Amino acid sequence: MRNKRLFICFVVAILAFIVVPFCVNAEDKTIKIGALYPMTGRAGLYGKDSVAAAEMAIDEINSKGGVAGYKIDITFTDSKVKPAYAVRVAKRYITEDKVNFLFGVVSSGVGLAVTEISNQYKTIFVGTDHASTRLTVDNFQPYYFRVSNNTFQSMTAGALYLKELAETKPWKKIAFIGPDYAYGHSQWDEIRYNLDRYGVEYEVVGEYWPKIYAPDYTSYITSILKDKPDVLISGFWGGDTVAFIKQAQAYGLFKKTLYFHPDAGGNYELMSAMGAELPDGLVLGARHYNNWPETDRNRNFVQEFQKRTGRFPTYAAQGAYAGIYAIANAVKAVGNPDDTEALVKALEGLKISLPEDPEGFTSYIRPETHQITQVMAIGTTMANGDFPPAKKMLGNWKIYKAEDLVPPVEYLEEKRKK
Amino acid sequence: MDFSFFITQTISGLTMATLLFLVASGLTLIFGVGNVFNFAHGSFYMVGAYFGYQLVSIWELNFWVALILAGLGAGVVGMLAESLFLRRIYGRVNEGGFQILLTYCFILIIDDLVKLVWGTEYKSLPRPKGFSGALNFGDIYLPSYNLVIIAVGLIVVVASWWILTRTRPGKIARAAAVDREMVDTLGVNVPLTMTLVFGIATALGGMAGALAAPLRTVTPGAGVEVIIDSLIVVVLGGMGNFWGAWLGALLIGEVNAFAVAFLPKWASLFSFLVMVIVLIFKPEGLFSPRQVRKV
Repeated sequence: MRNKRLFICFVVAILAFIVVPFCVNAEDKTIKIGALYPMTGRAGLYGKDSVAAAEMAIDEINSKGGVAGYKIDITFTDSKVKPAYAVRVAKRYITEDKVNFLFGVVSSGVGLAVTEISNQYKTIFVGTDHASTRLTVDNFQPYYFRVSNNTFQSMTAGALYLKELAETKPWKKIAFIGPDYAYGHSQWDEIRYNLDRYGVEYEVVGEYWPKIYAPDYTSYITSILKDKPDVLISGFWGGDTVAFIKQAQAYGLFKKTLYFHPDAGGNYELMSAMGAELPDGLVLGARHYNNWPETDRNRNFVQEFQKRTGRFPTYAAQGAYAGIYAIANAVKAVGNPDDTEALVKALEGLKISLPEDPEGFTSYIRPETHQITQVMAIGTTMANGDFPPAKKMLGNWKIYKAEDLVPPVEYLEEKRKK
Repeated sequence: MDFSFFITQTISGLTMATLLFLVASGLTLIFGVGNVFNFAHGSFYMVGAYFGYQLVSIWELNFWVALILAGLGAGVVGMLAESLFLRRIYGRVNEGGFQILLTYCFILIIDDLVKLVWGTEYKSLPRPKGFSGALNFGDIYLPSYNLVIIAVGLIVVVASWWILTRTRPGKIARAAAVDREMVDTLGVNVPLTMTLVFGIATALGGMAGALAAPLRTVTPGAGVEVIIDSLIVVVLGGMGNFWGAWLGALLIGEVNAFAVAFLPKWASLFSFLVMVIVLIFKPEGLFSPRQVRKV
């Protein structure tokens, strides 16, 4: 009896596997998206948050009947943070699954590889997270679009912050520490470019390049202490920030030097990991904040995400959410997801209202670079228990206008000449 | 270079060296006694860190108790892994290949288990009470927790020396390293010895993880990040040599500390450079494994 029941279950399960794909195929009006996100290791956190937020956006859109008569259908694959592997998956998405859009990617290394495939097969690639400016400047190609800020934007905001700071609290000596790969190096180049552009005077007293994910920074910290910089510019990514701050704290580094980390320092996962241990007065920035802007849109986004997953989102979530809406808006304008050239036109200059937009501003995609253009804020750590397990959040915000942060045309020309 | 900076930098190199040694010691022990290259040793380090997090931040246990329990916990996981899986491939033809495959599987499985239990968010441990500050002599800053780490490392070195050379189980372990069959013939339960050695080695790794957790990020994938440097240390010291691992760790830690201070742009190159130079002139590592086993 028992075996029989088991057998029936088995048959039903097999039938389900055979029949369900046909059902999906039968419904042919879908927008197919092939997404690549890391699911393992450290970057898995950003991958998981991106997946949850993309699904949240898709549920919102599909529950209202989809867009232009199409439902959104997304497939997620682990990028394994390996460019060569991601390229194979992207090709499979295009040639076998016939996706309309490539989507996602956390690592700039993977992004730079996938953008080549997107160009080769003329399939639009919507980047939601990776921040290297090269994708929209040096290696720009017409089928690539990015819906989160790049390092140039955050470094320009950073340079403007330092410029203002000099008026109230004079500083001169700076040092830099960041991971020894494209992401770290472009931050250092871009902040100096922008400090020069705005005529800020500074003296570099140290430059440090630990490996990404290096567990130990003590020797770097004691060496930075010897350099005595007024401002330490940091370009760490992921959990490296947590390790660095914990190790530097005991040496009293933050009492002597301003810790300034405008691209990824303000990520929520730093606050949630460190709780009450996070020092006050660090100046940090991120691509999305759970407590700024204080609009209903942002509050709803953060609450909805928390309801779905039981945790507050990291910055990556908003990028994935924005990406789905950018695709939906473009398809709505064109009327179908198959006319790639018309979709490119629609995405160029697309205006899109996002959780990240403060009152009175709408994000838009800049036609010259296919890069989203957004207002940026930089804040200072202070006590705030509204987003547990974090006990500190950013506050005392300084806001920078979107138009001021984009790379100037001569910068684009110079970089693209190469 | 002024003297106070020299001291500060030496101590920071020593902190790094000690944590490196604590991970590498287990790795080299398993290799020396069991002839197993445990690719997943870093994962036991990670498991220890997560146990520490669970015990201290969630169950609010005393840090020092948690440190011991986290080590023991990782040791138990290690013994399970050895007795349920690893034991089955001892003595096979091409055992080395199977070892790498199997222990690599451990990495993937443990990483996923950790994600299931604790999620992907970064975790961290506060420093224990009374050890969050630094001792201060003029220009010299010595964070007290870093000194604790160095002290724990010294205790482990001395205790291991005593166990391996002065006690019966230690002597059996060393004998088993040289000739497993002979020790078996003499009536010693070799499989049990192997399991225990594996347990001790993974416990060392787990304790290193819990000890490092207040200074590092507790995250999935943390194990893979420490295994490369530990491997350098083990190879430097002579595969399977306990004291070699200690010396190797000190060498890497200090070379790195001063490379960072004087040639920061090339700092990460130096640990590999040291390895290359040692391997050119002494391919068997600083201490030849055979010689020391005969002590």
